[in-house]
Amino acid sequence: MRVKTVLVFVIAFFFFFCFFSACTREDLEQVEISDHTAEFAFPLFSTDLLMKDLMLNILNDTLSGDTLYINPDNSMTLIYTGDVAEKKATDIFNFLENGLVPIPDSVSTSPIQAPDGVTVTRADIKSGTITLIIYNNTPDTVSGIFEITQMSANGVIFKYPFTVPPTPSTVWISPPIDLSGNILLSGSNILEFKYYAYNKEGVRIEFPSINGGFAPVFVSFQNLTFSYLQGYWGYSSYPLTRDTIEIDLNQTNLDGNVKVKNPKVTMRISNSWGFPTRGKIKYLSFIGKDGTEYKLNSTIFVDDAVDFAFPDFTKDEVGQTKYTYLKMDETNSNIAEIFNAQPTRLVYEVEGISNANLDPNVIGFLTDSSTIKLSVGVELLLEGSADNFQTDQTLDLDFGTYSALDTTEIEAVEFKLVTENQTAISAAVQIFFLDENENKVDSLFVGGPQFIMNAAPVNAQGIVSGVTRKENFIPMTVARFERVRTTKKAVLQAAFTTADGGQIPVKLLATDQVVIKMGLKVKTRL
Amino acid sequence: MRLSTLLLFLFLCFDLSAQQELMLQSAPELWHSNATNPAFFPQEKRLVIGLPAYALDAAHSGDLTLNDVYAKRNGIRYIDFSEAINKLDPENTVHFDQRIETVSIGLRLSKKWALQAGHANRFTGAVTYPKDLPALLWNGNAPYIGKTLNIGPKIALFNWNEWSVGAMRSFGNLTIGAKLKFLTGVSALESDENHHKAEIYTNPDIYQLTLNTDYAFNSSSIISAFDTAGYGFRVSLGSLNGKAFTANTGIAYDFGFNWQLTKRIRVSASVLDWKGKINWTENANYYKSNGTYEYEGAVFPGTDIINGGDSLDFDSKIDTLNDIFKFVKTPKEFSTSLPTRYYASFSFMLNARWTFGASFYKQSGAQTHSALGFSARWSPIKWATIAAMYSVDDRSVANIGMQFILKPGPFQLYLMSDNLANVFTPRNTPALNIRAGASLVF
Repeated sequence: MRVKTVLVFVIAFFFFFCFFSACTREDLEQVEISDHTAEFAFPLFSTDLLMKDLMLNILNDTLSGDTLYINPDNSMTLIYTGDVAEKKATDIFNFLENGLVPIPDSVSTSPIQAPDGVTVTRADIKSGTITLIIYNNTPDTVSGIFEITQMSANGVIFKYPFTVPPTPSTVWISPPIDLSGNILLSGSNILEFKYYAYNKEGVRIEFPSINGGFAPVFVSFQNLTFSYLQGYWGYSSYPLTRDTIEIDLNQTNLDGNVKVKNPKVTMRISNSWGFPTRGKIKYLSFIGKDGTEYKLNSTIFVDDAVDFAFPDFTKDEVGQTKYTYLKMDETNSNIAEIFNAQPTRLVYEVEGISNANLDPNVIGFLTDSSTIKLSVGVELLLEGSADNFQTDQTLDLDFGTYSALDTTEIEAVEFKLVTENQTAISAAVQIFFLDENENKVDSLFVGGPQFIMNAAPVNAQGIVSGVTRKENFIPMTVARFERVRTTKKAVLQAAFTTADGGQIPVKLLATDQVVIKMGLKVKTRL
Repeated sequence: MRLSTLLLFLFLCFDLSAQQELMLQSAPELWHSNATNPAFFPQEKRLVIGLPAYALDAAHSGDLTLNDVYAKRNGIRYIDFSEAINKLDPENTVHFDQRIETVSIGLRLSKKWALQAGHANRFTGAVTYPKDLPALLWNGNAPYIGKTLNIGPKIALFNWNEWSVGAMRSFGNLTIGAKLKFLTGVSALESDENHHKAEIYTNPDIYQLTLNTDYAFNSSSIISAFDTAGYGFRVSLGSLNGKAFTANTGIAYDFGFNWQLTKRIRVSASVLDWKGKINWTENANYYKSNGTYEYEGAVFPGTDIINGGDSLDFDSKIDTLNDIFKFVKTPKEFSTSLPTRYYASFSFMLNARWTFGASFYKQSGAQTHSALGFSARWSPIKWATIAAMYSVDDRSVANIGMQFILKPGPFQLYLMSDNLANVFTPRNTPALNIRAGASLVF
């Protein structure tokens, strides 16, 4: 009995010991962590697209002179402008700048070298000189005074004393005589030159003519400029400008229809010429994508011409600038009809005509700063409609850490694309992922673009009155994710349609924006 | 530390160690019972050499068991936390105490005096963690989109060496003993009671992450760095290899008495780790994460998209997640107090074979614990004893402990547990208590 008890006890002891040892070893050493799937969710990116930036981008693509004007109500006006054509008066009306006037007798006259149709009654000399040239073939030294009767300074008639020795084999030339500040006054475009010459006995003489009958006295004008001209300007025509305005809003090579509500063409003329000038529209047409010409007709033109405002001499408006604004819109022209064809450029040519009415009583003036400037613009208030208007953008991509992930443990990924749209535009989007050689590797959506953004609601004025949020879940297989995450470029193609399927015009405001953001869920085995 | 390792640590740490030792307290004839009362010394023995002993007491709150974690497929045992996470309470606590006695010696100088010395390594800790933490680590954040997850655990982990010397003095039938313990801290990790908030929120919008933290902890030689790169939250650990001597030092005291009131009746009591405190100076740092961190992904300026002039570079953006917790590491010494433990026992020897007794245990400090047990010991032969104990503690009112002691010649061999069922079916229980050891007595 005693041996049996001990035996049972020892067996129990070892059973206890062995069981615990085995159990511990199995539990702690021969186990593995079970494969299981965990799912992680991360934000990827967000971006905030402002309508103002989008439109500025369109402008920056082409002409530097284009502007996006933010109106007080935050609406935006795209203004395409052509080069400013500027004509200075001196570019057109050059006279008496340089010249040599013979004076055969002691009293001689010479016409002012003015352009055709122009009669100068007053000319204020700003700068320049004259030189007196005398051939004294008498044996005596001759002294005297040279006078220009129509030229005076501060009321004193211009006179120049001279003493000329005998010059049988050459001529005597006076030093340059500064004429600054002198005023020429003439009622008939005629200048009268006189000289009073006396020999040593004090007897008035005339210089004898040179052999062959050439005048012994000359007056040479050098670099004469005028600060003011006054007179009669008769009929004269001259080219003002010919230019082209590119309307790049319609110059994409993509599909779609954009209708702009109430487009305008404006002309702005600033004129400081002191006589009537008429603008003659020689050419004013929009050109379509296919080269079709659409002539812009407007009731503001009479016989394709319009008179520019000008500073009136009779109203003592010398030195002033007058402005003429011309606006061609749907109320006075066929521009709305033209824009339905989405023209791509405006070509215009304008000619200037002075005193087109041939009024003989018109007294005009010019100053040395008188110019006429003409600028033409196309103003597009961003209010309209678009239907499937497409654009694209290529972006560099770098998935960074994501491109180095070990995808062998990844089971699936799902992108979540969220748009918060505060514009009246819906968008269907497709993103093509390109490799380093710009070959298409994959696309974000299988089977074509998808609407990722619904237009925000608009009120009766076509102004956005809310925000539309849309969530898009884009599952992607691991194989596709493997391809996409190594790409280096993405081509974003978007097709925009305004509210109600592009059927109603909406107004785009500078404050309109779209928030686009994306998150990622990754199911991975751990 | 990988995610799975961290989860294992949370769930399985009760496989590590033990401290409540009612059964050992009821066997004063074992030399290793001296660990529960410095007045215990095997009767009529002059020289005692303590061979290695191992003790473990660990528990997880609630009903979680290892079977909830283990799965067996194709003959291979796997750990799968899916079921375990479902069984967790909103807040869960793991506590454990491990004692490894490497060597000890006792020498009875006379009938009145005896001396003792020894070394032990102890590892104690408690982790209170919210259910959200393992759920997040195991399932990822996607299942919890739109919910705020609280992931800040309260942690107290300490590993130290005890170098003890002691003496006991007998006054007739009363023996009193005292032990001075020189403590050398190996490693410590203690969260700051005032800063243990860590919340993570995944926004349903595009899964933006918001982390709201006010979390701090002291660490000595456990955490060396935080690396939150990639999708996980990786913690770099310092070496856990115990060093015998470190600059982290402290002192603790054990006191006890053993009074043989009559030939049959004995009472004893002890206070352990009294005034125990370790000053941590070696690799001691204070880590703090405080603030709200929002990760919204890359933010590309709209003009870049419109103009196409810049690259959409995700690389630099995702890297910001690496530092999302932004733990600030500040060198800072700190001190920790050992929980003070109390034992009291009573025994009545019915005859040479049967002894009945009662033992009481209480632990004070940050993690309080108490237990009361009633035992019956049977010694069918002189060199073998088997005992059973019924005990109640903070976790259960139905613990059946067992004790097996063999004393062939100068050897003392024993296995014991305060809860036998846990030992034999550890995978069905949320707690474990066991002790084993050997000694040579002469």
